[in-house]
Amino acid sequence: MSENPQKVLHSGSNATVGQARTQSRALKDERLARPSPRSVGRPGPGSADGTASALRPAGPPSPRSKKTKPAAQYDRFIPNRSAMDMASSQFNIARADSDIPLDGASIAYQEEVARACGVSINKRILKFKEEAPTSEKDDLRQVYSRPALKSSAPTGAKRRILNTPERVLDAPDLVDDYYLNLLDWSLGNTLAIGLDQSVYLWNATTGDVNSLCQLEGEAYIASVKWTADGTYLAIGTSEGDVQIWDAESQSKIRTMAGHQARVGVMSWERHVLSSGCQDGSIWNHDVRIANHKTAELIAHSSEVCGLTWRSDGALLASGGNDNLVNIWDARSAVPKFTKTQHTAAVRALAWSPWQLNLLASGGGSYDRHVHFWNTTTTARLNSIDTGSQVTSIQWSSEYRELATSHGFPHNHLALWSYPALTKIVDIPAHDTRVLHTAMSPDGQTIATAACDESLKFWRIFETRSKCGKGSKATSSVAAAASGAGVGTGASAAGILDMSRPSHIR
Amino acid sequence: MSVQAQLTKGKITLKGSARIVTEFFMYGINSILFQRGIYPVEEFEVKKKYGLDIWVSNDQQVQKYLEKIMNSVEEWLSMGKINKLVLAVNSREARETLERWQFDIQLVDEEVVVAGEQPKPPKSEKALRLEIQAIFRQIAASVSFLPIIEEKCTFNILVYADSDAEVPTTWTDSDPLHIKNAEQVRLRSFSTDAHRVEAMVAYRRDPDLC
Repeated sequence: MSENPQKVLHSGSNATVGQARTQSRALKDERLARPSPRSVGRPGPGSADGTASALRPAGPPSPRSKKTKPAAQYDRFIPNRSAMDMASSQFNIARADSDIPLDGASIAYQEEVARACGVSINKRILKFKEEAPTSEKDDLRQVYSRPALKSSAPTGAKRRILNTPERVLDAPDLVDDYYLNLLDWSLGNTLAIGLDQSVYLWNATTGDVNSLCQLEGEAYIASVKWTADGTYLAIGTSEGDVQIWDAESQSKIRTMAGHQARVGVMSWERHVLSSGCQDGSIWNHDVRIANHKTAELIAHSSEVCGLTWRSDGALLASGGNDNLVNIWDARSAVPKFTKTQHTAAVRALAWSPWQLNLLASGGGSYDRHVHFWNTTTTARLNSIDTGSQVTSIQWSSEYRELATSHGFPHNHLALWSYPALTKIVDIPAHDTRVLHTAMSPDGQTIATAACDESLKFWRIFETRSKCGKGSKATSSVAAAASGAGVGTGASAAGILDMSRPSHIR
Repeated sequence: MSVQAQLTKGKITLKGSARIVTEFFMYGINSILFQRGIYPVEEFEVKKKYGLDIWVSNDQQVQKYLEKIMNSVEEWLSMGKINKLVLAVNSREARETLERWQFDIQLVDEEVVVAGEQPKPPKSEKALRLEIQAIFRQIAASVSFLPIIEEKCTFNILVYADSDAEVPTTWTDSDPLHIKNAEQVRLRSFSTDAHRVEAMVAYRRDPDLC
């Protein structure tokens, strides 16, 4: 017979009248007799009492008493169950509820329980607050003992040199003259290009273009050169003027006149601007003072087409249409020495960034050679026969390499390693001779300009860290390799903004 | 009074024993840092101790860091307030504990001298050294079963102390940094006359093996 109060009710209601009456009498009796415990006959409705204390725990909980749960099984949010000492935390939670002051017996009891559970009450786990010093160096054991599956070590990276330009800009009206120098890239990442009578500035970071100046009459731009910090731009004109412009405010600061013929090439050395003229003279201007002409260097008998200061400002190298290369000491007006090896105009001149006294000079279409000079000993160290007119030379600061740009017949860029002098790759660049090149301030990209109305950017000297990370192609398509270059090399975080090919107009 | 003099004289005092145990911890932690590659090899140099060549860090910062910790540990040891020292090796990125080196410290009670029985002779220096040597050898040998740690790691020192221990401000309360699903290996132990140190290492069970 069930002792469930519910059931009792149920049976009570279903009983026949006769039975109900007897039952109700029984119930009544029950109720009257409730306080006294007696043996179970029929327990009263609604509660299993009488022997309540014995009955209740045995039965399953009725719907009414659903809400009572055993007291110690609360759900709580615990951050990291596996790392926590569950036994002790639980014990502490349970203990915290009690407000009863502990007497000796309960303390002893608790300790016994704690010991039984393997939990320590009066122990603290302490951690030293300060963090351990970190070491940034790679552990050599891991680098050298790693199986060859992962390739995170930089030694595994292959440098990729694309055969296609990273970017192409429009450059119409570029004057087709070997003796002009119309392209320069500033430290502030702005490219200046002289297109016929105007100079345009292209900001490589933002992609903005603006026209800096426009010359009047028959004059055209003959040379542009940024100062070392990229704040001022020197513009040489066909009339013989040298103008200094402030790039930020786009205003002309001063005009330095005096040359009798066009100023085809210039080079800055801090506050001194050297300008090379069509009449063969080189003038040094101190741009800070009113009487700007501080020196006149005359050693060329025809147009000066190459001019470059050494990075420390001690020597000036100049090349002319008379096939001469002159090295000038900064303090004197006569050349330190002259080289006559070239058999054509020397326009390409570049000092090596890693060896202070190393100068490379390239000859024109009849000569086609690049000679390397030690300017301290005046000896010729090396030569390369490049096979075509050398229009410019750019050394790389990241790699021991140099890039030369050429004219007829291939109009290409050639990459050479130094001092091995092996050709690394030929990159077909333009449809007409590559007239001008400029190196980006981070040393990774070369900009080339030619009369095919295009200004192209080539990421030749990608920095090694980017190579290692396996950068993905963004806009360039990988072409078949002609030399060492395959695949992709552009990284989205480079100087040039890939998404906006813009036009210079 | 040097430790050695104490040893030859007779039973080691609690303080002397604390010094020995702290030194053991210092070298032990350095050795573990070297073996597990927490710091690169160049930052370690060899020192002779306990008749062995032990790799000790020569980086100023690490040395200072460990010294600060060991000073507190020595104090607690000499007062008998510390009963565990844990070196937890955590991955730097995941902030997860990869390995847990636990050293249990027990105070050896004074021997109850039963009438007629000789009190135990004090531990000789040689025997102590041999025991410590064994532990170092085991630490070095543990590379054979401990999983290779691929990523950059850092470490934390935890101390299980009595609640009435004096805690300087440089220490704070912490979780025990247990490893879930850990494999545990008990290493050898050593005891001076006052402290008994037991070592064990817990490491993450490799999910690939099983």
